[in-house]
Order: sequence, then structure tokens, then C-alpha cells
Amino acid sequence: MISEYILNAIFAAIPALGFAMVFNVPKHTLIYCAFGGAITYTARVAFQDMDIPLELATFLASTIIGIVALYWSKQFVIPRPVYTIPAIIPLLPGTYAFTAIINLIDMNAHGVTPELINLFIENGLKTIIILGGIGLGLALPSLYSIRYTRPIT
Amino acid sequence: MNKITYEEQTKITRAIIKAAVLMLEFGAESRLIELTAQRLGNALGVDSVEVSLIPSAIVLSTLSNNQTQSVTTTRRAHHKPINMSIVCDVQKMCHDLEKGNHNVDFVFNTIKGIQPKYYNRWLVIFMVGLSCASFAYLTGSDLQAFFVTFVASSLAMFTRQELAKRKFVLILTFMFTAFVATIISGLSQIYNLSSTPNIALSSSVILLAPGFPFVNSVLDAVKGYLAMGWGRWMQAVLLTVATSLGIILALALLSLKGW
Repeated sequence: MISEYILNAIFAAIPALGFAMVFNVPKHTLIYCAFGGAITYTARVAFQDMDIPLELATFLASTIIGIVALYWSKQFVIPRPVYTIPAIIPLLPGTYAFTAIINLIDMNAHGVTPELINLFIENGLKTIIILGGIGLGLALPSLYSIRYTRPIT
Repeated sequence: MNKITYEEQTKITRAIIKAAVLMLEFGAESRLIELTAQRLGNALGVDSVEVSLIPSAIVLSTLSNNQTQSVTTTRRAHHKPINMSIVCDVQKMCHDLEKGNHNVDFVFNTIKGIQPKYYNRWLVIFMVGLSCASFAYLTGSDLQAFFVTFVASSLAMFTRQELAKRKFVLILTFMFTAFVATIISGLSQIYNLSSTPNIALSSSVILLAPGFPFVNSVLDAVKGYLAMGWGRWMQAVLLTVATSLGIILALALLSLKGW
């Protein structure tokens, strides 16, 4: 059980590291990106094991990395997305998104069938809700610090 | 408070918008752009900086001399592949400016000196291949599919770098890269290399998932930059459609049913 978690964490850290390189993040932040990926994925799996649905688990996991990255970005002078976006790469619903679009094109090519509509709505909805969960989770710490400071006159 | 002449203020405005355009082009989040512009303005001695962002351009006004003198300028932003090292460099320049006693020329000189830092391309190819293979593992593939994904996405990343070097439009790059990745992982399905060919097919194109635009779009939207949010969402959807087209072309060529 524990060893499975660790193995999954390592395999989640690799994509975070690889994609951090594609985004050309500064060299000294690479290790944090890898850590972030491991933290986020492990958190999501842990939440899912507690019988929390995928979307909510994703939201909670990205909230955690949003808070953690707040500390990292204050320590070094680095904008927060440098840490957070590679870290949430293992959570991205890439396969859902591509399947949804392929279904859409299939419908045009081979005619609309109820099965295709089902698949399209299922995958598209999953994509949008998971993405929204990720974005909202990452934004939550900074939304908390934004206040309506200007007088309303 | 000493007065700023119109010429000086124009120069300051040009310096600020140069930094802001650089950040927008290389994929910074809207709030970061606005805050950085305002901090640069404060450090350079203007009263306030107002920024209006749309996906393809920036309009920026500076006010000075007790808000009586205003300079406005507009720049077009051409979107480029995401490069966080440039965004970090601009951010660092902003901090240096706030700390030390620098003037406008410091901003111009620093921006001229900012060069994109790239990692060794073969290292990136290897790491991206390994990343997509890790995705395959996480979705539960067997060992053969793991290696097929590794080969397919490494070659796809090589294609992507070659196309990026020739400065092709992102949509074409994504389409062709998805095509290459799917051809290779589709061949493994035809020759029955693994028992989980579907996972190899879907994992090898994960390197094209437009994570940055999608996440940035949600971040922008919830922080009140609605136009930017829509713009980035559209960009991300376009890239996803382009990727799917590449996948479909390759599947049709191999006459596979899909995943």
C-alpha cells in the first residue's frame, strides 16, 4: 500500500519535471516542480481512496499545491505559476479532452448515434469540471488575499 | 514632488509596456502582468499605471504630476511558445528596480539582455518521452506499452522541436506532432506489440495537452480578467482541436478504429 503510493509519487514527479523543462522554468526551481507533482498526485490518490469523487479530489489536491507554492514563491522571487502549473500536469484531463473532440469529429463523419453523444458529453463534462477544479483550487489562495479595498462611491 | 516632463514620462511608459508585452507573449498570468506594470511604474516615479489587457494587445496609461499628465500607448502582442525563464527574468528585474537606485535606462538595458534559456534538447526529448511513459504507467499499461509510449512521444517531441525551430504556427506544430505520435503508437497496435495499445495511443499525445493556456484561462477568469480568460480558453481549445485532427488523420491512415 505505502510502496504503491511511493511508486506512484515517483511516476508523477517525472511528468512534472519533464513538462517543467518544456516550459523552460529556471534551473533551481526544477526540484520543487518535481516535488509539487508528487505531492499533488499523491494527494489526489489519497482523497480518492477516501471515496471522494475524482473532481472534488482534484480540486482539493490543487488547493494544497496552491498553498504550498505560496510559501515557495515567497522564499525565492519566482511567480507562483512556475511551480503550480508543472505540478498539476499529472492531474490534467488530457485524454478526456482529446476523446471528446475525436467523438465530435466522429459524429460528423459517421453520423450521430446516442452512444457517441453519451461519450462526448461524458468526456467533455469531465474535462471542463476537472479543469475548473484545478484552476479554482490554484486561484483560491490568491483570491483569499484580494479584497475590495477601494471605497464604493 | 519634482515634475516629470512629457518626454521622460513617455520613455517610462515605453519601458513599462515593453516589460508587460514580454510577459504576455511568453505566457504570464494577467494579474501578474498588471501588478508588475504597476510596481515598475511606482519604482520609476509615476503616480499610477492603468493596464487594459486583451489577448492580442496591451493598452497602458501612466499618470504623473498629481494625475494631471497622462501618457497612453498600445502594443500588439504576438504569442510565442511558453517560456517561464523570461517571465522570471522580468520579475527579477522588477525586484532589482525596487531595491536599488536605478533609472529607466536600466529597464531598457535589462530587457535587451534577456535571452530565453533553453535546456539541452536531447535531455528534454528524453524527459518528455519518460513523462508520457509515466502517464501510461499511471493509467495502468503493461511494460511494452510503456516503451512504445516512450519511443512515440520522444520522436513526437523531436518533431515538435524541429517545427518550433522553423518558427511554424503553434496549430500546425501541434497537428503534425500528434500525427507523428499516433502513427508510431498506432503501428504498435497493428503489430500487436502490447496488450494495452489504447493506453499507448492516448498517452503518447499527452505531451500536447495545452495545460498552460487552460489553467491560465481559469486563473484569469476567476481573478476578474474575463476577456483574457475567454481568449486563452479559445487558444487552448484550438490547440486541442488541432491535436485531435492530427490524431484522426493518423488513425485514418492506419485505418484504426480509435481508442
